Amino acid sequence: MRNRSILAVAEHAQGRVKPSGYEVIACALRLESFRQLRVLVVLIGDQPEAPAREIFQRTGLDVIAVQTPGLASYNGEAHRAILTDLIAELDPACLCAAHSSQGADFAPGLAARVGAACITAVERISVDSDCVIFARGASGGKLVAELAATTRLAVITVQPGAFSADVDRRYPQGSIEFRTVNFEPHRSRALGFKPGATCDKGLSEARVIVAAGRGIGKQENLSLVQDLAAAFPRSAIGGSRPVCDMGWLEYKSQIGLTGATVSPQLYIACGISGSAQHVAGIRDAGFVVAINSDPNAAIFNVADLCIVEDLTTFIPTFLAELHRASETPTSKENGR
Amino acid sequence: MKLLACVKPVVDLETMSGPHYLGSGASSGGTTCYRINHFDEFALEEGLRIKEAFPGTTLDVITVAPQSAGSALTRGLGMGADRAIHILLEQEGYVSPSVVARLIARRVEGSGYDLILAGVMSEDDMHAQVGPMIAELLSMPVATAVLHQTPIDEGRAVYVEREIEGGEREVLELLLPAVLTVQTGINRPRYPSLSKCLRAKKELPETIHAAAQPAIAPTETLLRVTEPRKLRAGLRLEGAAEEKAASLLAILREKALIPEARHAQP
Ligand SMILES: Cc1cc2nc3c(=O)[nH]c(=O)nc-3n(C[C@H](O)[C@H](O)[C@H](O)COP(=O)(O)OP(=O)(O)OC[C@H]3O[C@@H](n4cnc5c(N)ncnc54)[C@H](O)[C@@H]3O)c2cc1C
Ligand SMILES: Nc1ncnc2c1ncn2[C@@H]1O[C@H](COP(=O)(O)O)[C@@H](O)[C@H]1O
Repeated sequence: MRNRSILAVAEHAQGRVKPSGYEVIACALRLESFRQLRVLVVLIGDQPEAPAREIFQRTGLDVIAVQTPGLASYNGEAHRAILTDLIAELDPACLCAAHSSQGADFAPGLAARVGAACITAVERISVDSDCVIFARGASGGKLVAELAATTRLAVITVQPGAFSADVDRRYPQGSIEFRTVNFEPHRSRALGFKPGATCDKGLSEARVIVAAGRGIGKQENLSLVQDLAAAFPRSAIGGSRPVCDMGWLEYKSQIGLTGATVSPQLYIACGISGSAQHVAGIRDAGFVVAINSDPNAAIFNVADLCIVEDLTTFIPTFLAELHRASETPTSKENGR
Repeated sequence: MKLLACVKPVVDLETMSGPHYLGSGASSGGTTCYRINHFDEFALEEGLRIKEAFPGTTLDVITVAPQSAGSALTRGLGMGADRAIHILLEQEGYVSPSVVARLIARRVEGSGYDLILAGVMSEDDMHAQVGPMIAELLSMPVATAVLHQTPIDEGRAVYVEREIEGGEREVLELLLPAVLTVQTGINRPRYPSLSKCLRAKKELPETIHAAAQPAIAPTETLLRVTEPRKLRAGLRLEGAAEEKAASLLAILREKALIPEARHAQP
């Protein structure tokens, strides 16, 4: 019997494959290593030639480049229609896409249309007695749910950053197949793009970032975070999305998937639960300290130093300690 | 216009002790405390704003949940929704998003809703699937992670801005009926009003027994729930708060992450 395939749908922009595209390919290769499967990379867009060649040269994998004349940007209707046809033709065992604004948009509907299981934001894959197990975060990252598809096809989306984009495995042969599909979306119309809030330059330049989460409780408590930041030279204040949604901080201070990606030497997370979307922005931080009153908070899994305390009392305690310690024994305790 | 908001009751993990939870609640022996999924408050609020801007608009709320989780509907009515629909599950525990979407689509089919609003994802399961699946099952267009919307063309279409990577927005128009999944920050959800909550408690929701309907086979099974892996050292500071503060300071000093003690002026 011919080996069934794994379709890896790679995103591309301006003629280049996006890093998420290689992460999806890496995930597909991981699946391939368990089973006698064959990875096929799928590219969709009005100009898929250059990214198709890039993937072919870098990996030697088989590529299907589906050209969609006139569809300059992503269109969910088109993606679902094109992939439905490819699934009918190729009968793949798995279809992998990025858990991005595109993949998360088209994958669930696609799965519903073809009667496949849909497993989103997959972080790890393993096999157990011939059953492929997909692990994904749940409850804001506090738990990991392990799921297995009960259908012939599984449509999965890959959590950004979970698989390394360094795909260096080279296959000897491989081919690029070009196709053209004329698709006219009839229930949606693209009207272009609008820029988002620009990220605070202070965040990218800061050596130390003190970040506030919903756990600060009220806007007035931001002053605690500001006082803590003031103890460090070259520091900046950041926040989680809810803190910005509530207007306690401006959106330019938001850190995470849909905010800034930062890499300070020290990151102090105050009252932040540690959801994957927030943590996506701090992977390259040097040293991470987390202050959270919940001993099971997910942020403690990505912290170097864990402090289970109420931040409203701990921050003042720490600042008092700092103050005390910075006075040498010879200096007189003059009342403040 | 006729609007529907999908609301999911979630178990408040922070207030729970004992076993861990996943899915539309699970029983710990005692009564489970549910609250509305935070993400859905933004969807509800958006529906209420359309209702206020377009006279004659109605907003219904729907939930697929066990009996004890009906409070999410009360919250919806308390915020200002007109009617509540409860698709009643017999049991607590994990339910596949494909099953939830099919149950909702079954009830909604042919009911003439112009716009169906859902949250961008649920806090507990975090699938981000139910909204786009409902759209597919009802052959409606969908926009996910919506940060701005306005009905146009006398309620025949909707102008939408959705969030994409880097905070950028993609602008599109969808013909109605359509499904939108609403991203946080689109609005500031209002608090429920006490009088509306009291009235809601008296009104019984339309109840549909899922068990009395043809069964829907789930597309995946939840094998187990485990603890996440540690990705960094995760050293836990022990002792009283003062001791933790002293240890934190010592570690930051050792790593030269905080300036050394200033020497006192004579
Ligand atoms: C597509 C998408 C994109 C997203 N992008 C982002 C993003 O870029 N950035 C982002 O941050 N989020 C993003 N989110 C939201 C994300 O999923 C979480 O909802 C969010 O990060 C949670 O913020 P939080 O940790 O501040 O709040 P919560 O999850 O509510 O956590 C609050 C924490 O504070 C703790 N706490 C409470 N009181 C105290 C106290 N007194 N002392 C100490 N600790 C206390 C609690 O134990 C809890 O852990 C995105 C979501 C989606 C769906
Ligand atoms: N059991 C449910 N009942 C009603 N709506 C739901 C339910 N589960 C999910 N939803 C809706 O679908 C959105 C996404 O949920 P999920 O696909 O679980 O991440 C939620 O924000 C709700 O609006």
